[in-house]
Amino acid sequence: MNLFLSQITAIVWKDFVTELKTRELFSAMFIFALLVILIFIFSVNLSIVKASEVGPGILWVAFLFSGTLGLNRSFVLEKENGCLMGLMLAPADRTAIYFGKLISNFVFLTVMELFILPLFMIFFNIDLLEHLLPLLLVIFLGTLGFCALGTLLSSLASNLKTREIMLPILLYPLLVPIVIGVVRMTGQILAGEPLSEMMNWIGLTASFDIIYIGVSIMTIDHILEE
Amino acid sequence: MDNLGFLFAANVFVWGGIVYYVYTLKQRNRALEKDLDLLKETLSKEG
Amino acid sequence: MMNPDAVEEKQEEGNVLIWLTGFALLVAMIGIFIYVPTERTEGVIQRIMYFHVPCAWLSFFAFFVVFICSILFLWKKDREWDIYAHASAGIGVVFCSLVLITGPIWARPIWGAWWVWDARLTSTLILWLIYVAYLMLRAQSDAGSMRARYAAVLGIVGFLNIPFIHFSVLWWRTFHPQPKVITNEGIGKGMDSSMLATLGLSLCAFTLLYFLLMGERVRQEKLKDEIDRLKREKLYSS
Repeated sequence: MNLFLSQITAIVWKDFVTELKTRELFSAMFIFALLVILIFIFSVNLSIVKASEVGPGILWVAFLFSGTLGLNRSFVLEKENGCLMGLMLAPADRTAIYFGKLISNFVFLTVMELFILPLFMIFFNIDLLEHLLPLLLVIFLGTLGFCALGTLLSSLASNLKTREIMLPILLYPLLVPIVIGVVRMTGQILAGEPLSEMMNWIGLTASFDIIYIGVSIMTIDHILEE
Repeated sequence: MDNLGFLFAANVFVWGGIVYYVYTLKQRNRALEKDLDLLKETLSKEG
Repeated sequence: MMNPDAVEEKQEEGNVLIWLTGFALLVAMIGIFIYVPTERTEGVIQRIMYFHVPCAWLSFFAFFVVFICSILFLWKKDREWDIYAHASAGIGVVFCSLVLITGPIWARPIWGAWWVWDARLTSTLILWLIYVAYLMLRAQSDAGSMRARYAAVLGIVGFLNIPFIHFSVLWWRTFHPQPKVITNEGIGKGMDSSMLATLGLSLCAFTLLYFLLMGERVRQEKLKDEIDRLKREKLYSS
């Protein structure tokens, strides 16, 4: 178990160091999310539609799109210089590779989301601070589900010729339940409803996260196999 | 309430779709069988 | 190699299935257009249901077969299961498309709009997208163990998504005022025995059709494999 944990930490650490040196992924994800929000603001007439009604949807679309950018990089980066081969030759468990990648994807995306939230607050004139804790829980559940499935599918898509095209096509239909869930919950939270009102959605997203992490553990050996 | 047109359209799509699918399947299988026979023939001539 | 007798026997079995399916479809057609009474509120258009529901059942069944075969493939690593999963996914997508076409044709006169974001129609659309992505994944990777493994993983992940889609779409819609939707109680209640019998007959006929199509589709993949094998043999022997 200790060995397993240290394997995961090694992979996560490697990703963080690379990112801290180059900073290319984080800045790209952040700017892209900002652009998505801007484009939606231009395409929706905010003087007619209430900001708190379209806001949650726009926020999550921005998260998902820029998250896909991050997922595309996560395994392709390893592919480029044959690093994935090295990772697989190393005496590490395949599950450890999955968890390492899952954690680094999750942390990148969460940090990016925390940077976007204040801007969202200003642009849409919505006060998030009073609902901050439930909102963070929803962001945690949604981001974890996105990364659990996304890491599995990006490890799969990275071996295809058309990987950048195939990843969203494979990923988005499968993400529909979680997208509906988090957008609905965010909307309810902004409307001031307590968490107990949305237990069914919390149950749905939490079981989505658990089941897809479980499925990934069981199937990752078949994907990372040359 | 007479919606015979809609019923007719739905039928055309369903049966047309199924027949077209079966037709393409048969066509493809026939072509593959022909290929296979040709291949076997040439192989046996050479060998 | 199969001996000639076995081939002939197989072909005979195939012929029996063809005749049986044809007969069942014919009887179902008679039932749908002559035997069954016209529904009172919706009129003649309601007869679409006798294709619409069997198509939906068939595609769902086909996706279930993909799921089972994907698990079996990852377990046994036998090309046979991969072929079955591929064939079943293709048939499932064809019939799912038919559901998506007949659904709006039924909805237009009854609900007054081609497309209503009704829970079932929406889930069918998402399901269609998942399995189209599955077929695209298969089309984009070269034949071999990698394609089979990846497709199997997607087949499992995709099918496990169905309960999530079902509940999320259901709850998503219940927050809005509903147009007239077929509820679970409504289907059993509003139908008399002749309608149920016709629907059952139609379901049987379509299930037979599934097996018939599966047979053809599997044969196609096996022919392709055989051609590949012969070519490769020739290539390496010379």
